[in-house]
Amino acid sequence: MKTITITPLKAFEISVEAENISPDKLAPLSLSQIRSLSIWQGNRKRKLLDLFRAEGDDGPAEAEDVTITLQGDFSRAKRIAEGMTAGKVEAEGGVGMHAGNNMKGGLLSVQGDAEDWLGREMRGGKITVSGNAGNYVGAGYRGEKCGMRGGEIEVGGNAGAYLGEHLCGGNIRVHGDAGDFPGAANQGGTIFIGGSTYLPGAEMTKGTITVRGRARVLPSYQKMEIMSIEGEDFQKYVGDLVEKGTGELFVRVGSS
Amino acid sequence: MIIKGGIVYDPANGIFGEEMDLCVDEGRMAEDGKGEVIDARGLLVMPGGVDAHSHIAGTKVNTGRIMRPDDARLGIEPRSGVCRPCTGYTVPNCYAIGYRYARMGYTTAFEAATPIIEARHTHEELEEIPILDKGALTLFGNNWEVMECVRDKDIGKLAAYVAWGLRSARGYGVKIVNPGGGEAWGFGSNVKGPNDPVPNFDVTGAEIICGLAQANEMLRLPHSIHLHFNNLGKPGNYTTALETLELLKDIKPSRMRQVVHVAHMQFSAYGGTSWRDFESKAPVIADYFNSHNHATMDLGQLLFGSATTMTADAPLEYGNARLTHNKWSNHDIELEESSGVVPMVYFRKMLVNAVQWAIGLELALLTRDPWKVLMTTDHPNGSPFINYPEVITLLMSKPKRDAEMATLHEQLPKRTSLGGIERELDWTEIAIMTRAAPARILGLVDKGHFGPGADADISIYNLRPEEIDPSRDHALVKKALAAAKYTIKSGIVVSQEGQILAAPQGRTFWVDAAVPQADMDRLMVDLQEKFEKYYSVRLSNYAVQDAYVPHPKVIRAGIQMEVA
Repeated sequence: MKTITITPLKAFEISVEAENISPDKLAPLSLSQIRSLSIWQGNRKRKLLDLFRAEGDDGPAEAEDVTITLQGDFSRAKRIAEGMTAGKVEAEGGVGMHAGNNMKGGLLSVQGDAEDWLGREMRGGKITVSGNAGNYVGAGYRGEKCGMRGGEIEVGGNAGAYLGEHLCGGNIRVHGDAGDFPGAANQGGTIFIGGSTYLPGAEMTKGTITVRGRARVLPSYQKMEIMSIEGEDFQKYVGDLVEKGTGELFVRVGSS
Repeated sequence: MIIKGGIVYDPANGIFGEEMDLCVDEGRMAEDGKGEVIDARGLLVMPGGVDAHSHIAGTKVNTGRIMRPDDARLGIEPRSGVCRPCTGYTVPNCYAIGYRYARMGYTTAFEAATPIIEARHTHEELEEIPILDKGALTLFGNNWEVMECVRDKDIGKLAAYVAWGLRSARGYGVKIVNPGGGEAWGFGSNVKGPNDPVPNFDVTGAEIICGLAQANEMLRLPHSIHLHFNNLGKPGNYTTALETLELLKDIKPSRMRQVVHVAHMQFSAYGGTSWRDFESKAPVIADYFNSHNHATMDLGQLLFGSATTMTADAPLEYGNARLTHNKWSNHDIELEESSGVVPMVYFRKMLVNAVQWAIGLELALLTRDPWKVLMTTDHPNGSPFINYPEVITLLMSKPKRDAEMATLHEQLPKRTSLGGIERELDWTEIAIMTRAAPARILGLVDKGHFGPGADADISIYNLRPEEIDPSRDHALVKKALAAAKYTIKSGIVVSQEGQILAAPQGRTFWVDAAVPQADMDRLMVDLQEKFEKYYSVRLSNYAVQDAYVPHPKVIRAGIQMEVA
């Protein structure tokens, strides 16, 4: 087991590119090597120790045995846990944009809020957020045809707009509300929304979206039968017919 | 500057791998040189690469960039040294285009298609491409004035329009794309072949091609017409290619060059009646080129992976968009052209893509005379230019081709003759297909060779032609070609071991052709009416101003007028 604790020295006015804060990057490094990792802040290249305090175990380890604890406010540190394949990142506060992007394995847990693009283009592993998440959770970045392809994202609070846009696989669970257009252009992923949302599944061709609260459904969805899921009645829809889609949308009966 | 002891390939001057010194004086090749000495003992030395067909600047290239922020992410290089920041893979930004060509030993690249009215944008981008010498071919094949001159059989007025169009666009040569089809697309249709009439114009593609070829030769332009056939990219289109080439065989060239250069031949050498029985007709096409001397081609080689298709052939792009269900940009360009852009991925596992891959290689290997075949990928339609080393090594190594074919669809050997081709190109043939021939085909007299007075564009590679066997050591060759040991542009070392050392501003070639005043006067009557009635700009604001081409290299041509 190797545990590293990282704490910002002060609040960042200009955001930081923190793609080096991942178990894969830190596993083989000693503490002094970790402290001298380069990190961009705006257009300035800095060393990790200029911006953060890093403490913990010194020796090398495998990524799967690494736990990185982030103490304090990381909401202006972008790309935390980018592309991580194993191990754990535990943020005690919030995390910045693009956290867990392109993640392939391991666990990213966030006690606070996550900013936009959480787990975008994720391939595997798990992300849990106790607070709220921003826009484009699990989405594909600008121009990309495929967002999340695998893995799991769970958000305890609310999520922003375009939740799971261009989803090609994987599983997203939001316990609160989701913003506009969740599951837009979904091509095979699964989304559960505990609260309410607006216009889910636009241009969805495959996959499933379940809404337990209220949802305004697009006119391009065909109304099907009422189905019982875990003891509650859900209205089933199929669409998006604009794209000759066969995606399934379930909205709880009586909530809309 | 003196480059000592290199193994020099300069096929235009009959030098095929001789150990010799090269001298540079004031940016040109010279008999004597002084100053810096570059040690090239035993290394492969060739003239700087010349790309005669590449989509590197203009509105459709930029549309590709705007449509594909996903592509921008694939080629990010931060600012460093003399280099400005780079982005993109299939549609790189202007800086990346310059640096990446230079790293491979290329020093010249020509943009393949610009409508006159969009030329200002093309030049703004060309000017931002560092290092390279550039030029842009101008589109004429679906232009209303061209079609009317052809209909009226007024070749004098047509020549005047071509000269005026090249001058207005600061263009280098006559590009024809799916003649008639682009205009028909304005009415939601296409032409079925060169003999199909164009709606509302009472002309055929064949007449447009022949008319422009005659005007091109009347004007003695350095380059021939540069033709993208009708029916491009469709199964069975090789007959269209042969039929069109036959139209041009009796036209006399005005210079020592071809009468027609065929763009990206790979996309027009298709057999079969549908994608299901799609097969290669490259052997038939190569036979035609082997038995005729009026035509040359570039490959338009396709490689597996990401590409962005972009062409003035708008109906073709509509087909691509329907086929792939991908993003699609479509553009109607006033009285001149149409165009389209669609991102594309070519898959190894897809038989059609594998056959397309094989066709390009077959064309290069079955056409006996390398002076007739240019190595291109029709960047970024078949693959981005950055993959040229892959194409070159495929052409030089039968084992590499065999290994590649073994990973492709099992049906492939039945659809192409590639597996049975033993030929492996040597360095002389590669130097011709990437340097000497493109320069000669474009009519660039100071490019692609090392004769005295030629531009001192030199590429030196970490390869010892006398020791290495490209057939066996193809991986080594590919690596060396991707990053030249030295790239020298106009006597300045611009790149060393893949590192850009200097980024001097290149020149832009354009052709100024003289025509009789009487023809020009007749033409202006037509144009004034067209601009008054149809164009969105005024005639006086139409031409590209000199301020947009601050580093010009003007080539004079035109009709020789009798001296009174």
